[in-house]
Amino acid sequence: MAVSTQAAGNKKSKDSNNHVSTKSGSSANGINSKYVGSLSLITFAVLAIAWITGFLSRLFSVIRFESIIHEFDPWFNYRATAYMVEHGFYDFLNWFDDRAWYPLGRIVGGTVYPGLMVTSGLIHYVLSLLNIPVHIRDICVFLAPVFSGLTSIATYFLTKEIWSPGAGLFAAGFIAIVPGYISRSVAGSYDNEGIAIFALQLTYFFWVKSVKTGSISWAVATALSYFYMVSAWGGYVFIINLIPLHVFVLLLMGRFSHRIYTAYTTFFILGLILSMQIPFVGFQPVRTSEHMASAGVFVLLNAVAFLKYLQRFMSKQEFRHFFFFASVTAAALVFVTVVGLTYAGFIAPWSGRFYSLWDTGYAKIHIPIIASVSEHQPTTWFSLFFDLHILVTTFPVGIWFCIRKINDERVFIVLYALFASYFAGVMVRLILTLTPCVCVLSAIAFSSLFELYLKDDDSPKTDQSSRNDNLYDEAGKVRKMPHEQNKDENSIGGNLRIIVLIAVLFILLLFAVHCTWVTSNAYSSPSVVLATYDQSGRQILDDFREAYFWLWQNTDENARIMSWWDYGYQIAGMGNRTTLVDNNTWNNSHIALVGKAMSSTEPKAYDIMTSLDVDYVLVIFGGLIGYSGDDINKFLWMVRIAEGEHPQDIREADYFTAKGEYRVDEEASSTMLNCLMYKLSYYRFGDVRIGGYTGFDRTRNSVIGNKNIELTYLEEAYTSEHWLVRIYRVKKPHEFNRPRIPRSARQIKTKATLTKKTSKKRKGTLRNRPVVVKGTRSGSA
Amino acid sequence: MATSIDSRKLFSVIFVISVVILTTLNNFADANKRKQDVNTLSLGERVQQLTDFSNKRPIIRMNVQKFNDLVKGTPRNYSVIVMFTALSPARGCAICGPANDEFSIVANSFRFNSQIYSNKLFFALVDFDECGSIFQSLKLYTAPVFIHFPAKGKPLSQDKMDIQRFGVEAEAIARWIAERTDIQIRVFRPPNYSGTMALIIVSVLVGGLLYLKRNNLEFLYNKTAWGIASLFIVFCFTSGQMWNQIRGPPVVQRTQNGISYIHRSSQGQLVIETYIVFLLSAAITIGMILLIEAGKGKGDIRKRRVMLVVGLGMFALFFGMILSIFKSKAHGYPYSFIMS
Repeated sequence: MAVSTQAAGNKKSKDSNNHVSTKSGSSANGINSKYVGSLSLITFAVLAIAWITGFLSRLFSVIRFESIIHEFDPWFNYRATAYMVEHGFYDFLNWFDDRAWYPLGRIVGGTVYPGLMVTSGLIHYVLSLLNIPVHIRDICVFLAPVFSGLTSIATYFLTKEIWSPGAGLFAAGFIAIVPGYISRSVAGSYDNEGIAIFALQLTYFFWVKSVKTGSISWAVATALSYFYMVSAWGGYVFIINLIPLHVFVLLLMGRFSHRIYTAYTTFFILGLILSMQIPFVGFQPVRTSEHMASAGVFVLLNAVAFLKYLQRFMSKQEFRHFFFFASVTAAALVFVTVVGLTYAGFIAPWSGRFYSLWDTGYAKIHIPIIASVSEHQPTTWFSLFFDLHILVTTFPVGIWFCIRKINDERVFIVLYALFASYFAGVMVRLILTLTPCVCVLSAIAFSSLFELYLKDDDSPKTDQSSRNDNLYDEAGKVRKMPHEQNKDENSIGGNLRIIVLIAVLFILLLFAVHCTWVTSNAYSSPSVVLATYDQSGRQILDDFREAYFWLWQNTDENARIMSWWDYGYQIAGMGNRTTLVDNNTWNNSHIALVGKAMSSTEPKAYDIMTSLDVDYVLVIFGGLIGYSGDDINKFLWMVRIAEGEHPQDIREADYFTAKGEYRVDEEASSTMLNCLMYKLSYYRFGDVRIGGYTGFDRTRNSVIGNKNIELTYLEEAYTSEHWLVRIYRVKKPHEFNRPRIPRSARQIKTKATLTKKTSKKRKGTLRNRPVVVKGTRSGSA
Repeated sequence: MATSIDSRKLFSVIFVISVVILTTLNNFADANKRKQDVNTLSLGERVQQLTDFSNKRPIIRMNVQKFNDLVKGTPRNYSVIVMFTALSPARGCAICGPANDEFSIVANSFRFNSQIYSNKLFFALVDFDECGSIFQSLKLYTAPVFIHFPAKGKPLSQDKMDIQRFGVEAEAIARWIAERTDIQIRVFRPPNYSGTMALIIVSVLVGGLLYLKRNNLEFLYNKTAWGIASLFIVFCFTSGQMWNQIRGPPVVQRTQNGISYIHRSSQGQLVIETYIVFLLSAAITIGMILLIEAGKGKGDIRKRRVMLVVGLGMFALFFGMILSIFKSKAHGYPYSFIMS
């Protein structure tokens, strides 16, 4: 009965089918440029279908569960959006959240990318202007699926600029259903990436367009779109490094032109100024190394432009040497300046998160909190294939043809593919940045294939038609009959064509089915509500919301809840209570303190908890139902992070058995058996009988080692139905710390009984009552 | 001006004098040691000896007698970290070399930045080929082994470092030492110039090549070469070579049913497996390129037909293959193509 989601995706495969066949049909028709009207109709239809398909395939979780915000980070985004809608934009920017990171608090307005909240707030505002009352939660839930449609349109335009409209339609179709993007944009997954990929693709489209045209207006559009991207996601750094890299490589290739000069300088200056308007970004674009490449390329481009200007006044021979030395000097100068400024402290060096992308061992040693997040792990080929399926093996074809027929904008997509595939290899979550270019390049590959094989087999005619068009009337041509074509010496033959088409279409069909299956099984669980399947059908485990609701209803409004940081946003969002640490992991030492409390013994933990004013402790325990993502399984990371800050008190080795295994049964080390996390997870669990054993942990398949856990400093306050969430109340000192008072010193309070029942004096008397001496008024008054 | 010259002279004089004094002291100490190298030594003498040795070389190379005197002799008020190893190439101990390097990094770091404890902790090395008897007396059958001989009493079980778990990196050793002796050692690695050197050499080579061929730079415009290079890079990353780099998985896995080349779970992968995936995806890509090239209406028709059939075969067959590998790793995955 382990928690898993069921394979049920038959319903969806139908419209995906549809989808693929429509695409292929369109690209076949796209060749006939005669039918402009029908061409735009088909383009429109395909994009609309891509949008609808993309939208529908993201709705699994809404249909299976309900319209609910998923996972962890989206809960914070939702909470922030709700706050903004309620209090207005400026209050949101100034919002100091005292319910997070107790006692530090968090300046939310200055530490958040506001694009997501502003987007959904704007939609809410417009809808309410139109008198369409929609709850902000529903907008948040459906924002990412709606934006996926916009993403496919942006991808269509990008691919159209890079290759052809037919390829664009393919790309739009791919990106609508590819799991690598769906993983971040299912309904309810209300996160920055949902809108950021749209902004990314739009920026790239505008950039390619401005490189092609050299027009300032397109470059301004690039900068504006870049501004939107900066406001939405920290991944904007990828853009601000990729575009300069593109320009740099174009310079190296000797493809300098005034189009590039106009496009880049406009984009750079406007983009720089605009990006600094986001409070969270602030002065980073001029102060950090991540942004220096763009400035360096800006200087270099201007230097090259200046040299080109000088070229007019020099002879060719002179110029050749001069140009070489001058450009090398300029490049070296830029480099040395940046390095020098970095050393002098004007430019901050690479931040840990970015640095760990290059030096892959860095995070593991120095920043355990980054290494602890599962999506920061390196990528196996399996996850790439899982997320991209056939596309991961066909997008190199696109690279190949782009390099064969290179031009300015294809350099861009090739660079994008190379770098994104590196990043995707280093970190699982960066598959997301690879996905759009994989879709574009695979679309190029499939589109070139279909263009060739779906065309009527009339090669001799096409050979001559270019010459003959001017001489003969169109109507004069006699079309060959199919049986004649097959005998044509220079043609491949209809049968082979059909076999190729069927095979490739079948593989594309498999792709569509795969996407649906993956979306349905892997990416559509809200992880706030769990579902299990057994003989009697589906069972919903709603423990999280149950427990958070309990917190909301039964604890003091200002109660402070200690839990591991994963649950911080959820407690704040659903339980509306103050948390110590949350998913915005900005303060490592605070997290380490919580980790230390969890991994210490009860008395030591109590000291930490009183110093942090903790009222309740919340742990996630999956042992009863076999939920693997619980706190005991995450516990080693708590220990590691705590050890990083408090190496004297916490040692990872103490939590292993003598053989170096991590266990919870009788062989576990005594440190493990007595730490707070162990006690809180397994408190009273020894009394639970499952299948003949008492205290049998289904997640770790072992009988627990300490069945008689007694708590001194805490008491169980609430345990949810399936024991997933357990909440403990931290006792006040007087509740457990009651020193024995000798009998003689005890004063027993007795009820003061009234003995005198005279009518005059009904009041009781007090023994040893202080005698009030009434003074006399002095003087005449 | 004159004063500065004077002071410089003064400095050099002082320097010379101090060197002379140091050398004489050293000789004197050596002489002392040779004189007193008899069986029983007092605590002060032992400490003095160890300090002298470790001043010469941060890791003291032990022989049997020294070991018995200095490491096992009582009383002690100092800890000794001993590495038992087999450094001679004849022993074929692959890990001993790197372990020795890391150990000497720790010893050097200790010597240069923990002066306060300089007579509380010493580093020593016992080589199997020089004194195998020590190995036997301590019942050691493997190398390298790190044992901490504490100031009081005999080594406990925790005083033997578990290199299976911690590894032999200098940081790990330092952490273990801190755990056992409460002496924190900040590890200073001598900066590693090999990467920089390799980069410089490569760039010099490339630059030299370009310079030699400066009159014929056509090869830079060879799109096929660039294309192949890019595809190679992309296949490396998409076949999970970065994962291999970071996690260091085994090449193959031995199971009851013989050697398996494919990791069975979706969480891991083997080195061979990534090469297989690399080749398969390259084959699929080549197949598709062949298909597209065959579809283009130029060239000999027979050749094109062969290209088409080969391309389609590669494309479909290898895709079926990669899908079946995928299926074998993803338990419960329902789809397959050509092969199950």
